[in-house]
Amino acid sequence: MTDAQTVSVAVPEPGLGQRFRWAIQDTVTMTWRDLLRTRRQPEMLSFAVIMGVFFLLLFYWVFGGAIAAGAGVDYIQYLVPGIFVITTLTGAQQTGTGLAADLGEGVTDRLRSMPMSQFAVLGGRTIADALRNIVGVLLVALVGYLLGFRFASIGGAIGAIALAVGVGYAFSWMNAAIAAQVKSAEMVGMLSMFWLFPLMLASTAFTPAEQMPGWLQGFAKWQPISVVSDAARNLSNGIPAGDTVLWSIIWIVVLLAVFVPMSVAIYRRSA
Amino acid sequence: MTDDAPAQSVDASRPIAVAARGLSKSFGDTEAVVDLTFEARAGEVTGLLGPNGAGKTTTIKMLTTLLSIDAGAASIAGIDVASRPDAVRRVIGLAGQSAAVDEKLTARENLQLFGRLYKIPSGERTTRIDYLIERFELTDFADRVAETYSGGQRRRLDVVASLIASPPVLFLDEPTTGLDPHTRTELWGEIRELADNGTAVVLTTQYLEEADRLSDSIVIIDEGVMKASGTSADLKRDLERDVLEVHVASRSDLPQAAASVAGTGASASSDPEGTRLQIPLTGGAHQSLSILRALDAEGIEVADFQLRKPTLDDVFLAMTSGGGAR
Repeated sequence: MTDAQTVSVAVPEPGLGQRFRWAIQDTVTMTWRDLLRTRRQPEMLSFAVIMGVFFLLLFYWVFGGAIAAGAGVDYIQYLVPGIFVITTLTGAQQTGTGLAADLGEGVTDRLRSMPMSQFAVLGGRTIADALRNIVGVLLVALVGYLLGFRFASIGGAIGAIALAVGVGYAFSWMNAAIAAQVKSAEMVGMLSMFWLFPLMLASTAFTPAEQMPGWLQGFAKWQPISVVSDAARNLSNGIPAGDTVLWSIIWIVVLLAVFVPMSVAIYRRSA
Repeated sequence: MTDDAPAQSVDASRPIAVAARGLSKSFGDTEAVVDLTFEARAGEVTGLLGPNGAGKTTTIKMLTTLLSIDAGAASIAGIDVASRPDAVRRVIGLAGQSAAVDEKLTARENLQLFGRLYKIPSGERTTRIDYLIERFELTDFADRVAETYSGGQRRRLDVVASLIASPPVLFLDEPTTGLDPHTRTELWGEIRELADNGTAVVLTTQYLEEADRLSDSIVIIDEGVMKASGTSADLKRDLERDVLEVHVASRSDLPQAAASVAGTGASASSDPEGTRLQIPLTGGAHQSLSILRALDAEGIEVADFQLRKPTLDDVFLAMTSGGGAR
């Protein structure tokens, strides 16, 4: 039996450039697919987008008076740029829960059996979530405007929103890594309590670090959410942003450099 | 689907499309697949037959690059699975329980998604999708979201999705599980046609009838080990035992009847709900006489009996631990 001829299909090994082009093409395709899915689940979209507005109103009306004292500026001018960052951070948390659910579905096995870039499965998802985050941030800016918030300049507005979306994108990849590892939306949701709340609440997004206990101030000043909040606030208000923009970019680059390869490796390994 | 039996001979002139050599896979202490060797040829349907948990899906997952191979080797269309998984993915299609479609997308969108990921150029892709939708009769639900589909519609889309890139090697993991008989027969016809057009089809099934009717060659697996392989006719011939089937008039007589058959040195198997005993004859046709005499002596009323050639069922029961197969 073994002397029979074998079907042989010549499949040339693609070069590096070809693989790169395919990876981009696949990522675009997967982004399209994830946006299509988002459109089919409007409740998920609205929840994610409204989250930021919810935090804005909550902090403005409930805690606003108490916190405003030490802020140095009108509290709405202090708060809105911080909420940009909080919006993208909670959006990033959804990358994890969404992806974990997705990885549990049978379609993921089909994708794995196809000649596609494995990066694209995660890349498409994170980009779709970043696009959704932009919508969420713009909505926060709109509601902020109604409450009296004003950008100092167009350039500052673009810079502030770009940094907020950038750090959210980086945290999306951190969550993609967690999701690829634990593969359960519930677990991802529970685990997010351990990073989401400390990063969110022990940050300068809502309140200046000086108002926190001394032992917490070091963390609260230098953790990524604070650094990006400060930068977004400075850019929005036309205050010289100084090193905060640089440190924001450093944080974003470092987080991406760690978590993009890590999540792709975990996703590949769990095949 | 016609009722003609498929060609029941392994045609050695057909080229080998899938070669598994000593495939093994363990999960912890559980050996899911042990030293499995078989071949599948272009233009043929190769059926992996076995009960639940036999290692069929694990085998398919190894061959389709979804699971790493612990030991042994496999090649698809001459391409080594372990060393060139990306190349293997270009020549295979996968459908069934180890693959699925995006529930939130319509059939057309699913096919667009997979077609784009296979890098089929846009115009060609749309033509192909239109053709497949019509050919496999998805038209009625092609623009509805997949989560609203019936089991049969979903399975049909699943199979069609695996055909989008016209793969020379197609893996179908229990393609007809849960389908109604009509849909199943239709799907059989479509699978048969794919093979007749030159595709190498490897399918897993726990339905003996499916393996018997559809497969050119059958590999029986149980507890991860290959028990037998060959055409359905080969397997039946190897068994070389006629079977005496006895229907007792009263179901309550069944245990006693089985005991008295055992008393003659033969072994009887029965289905728990029925009144039927199946007795493989080891001592030729005259053995049936002594069995019937023994039943008569015990006063068991025999409603009917017949002597028949072994079916694949008998092969399967003889080869496996028995449970789970229908």
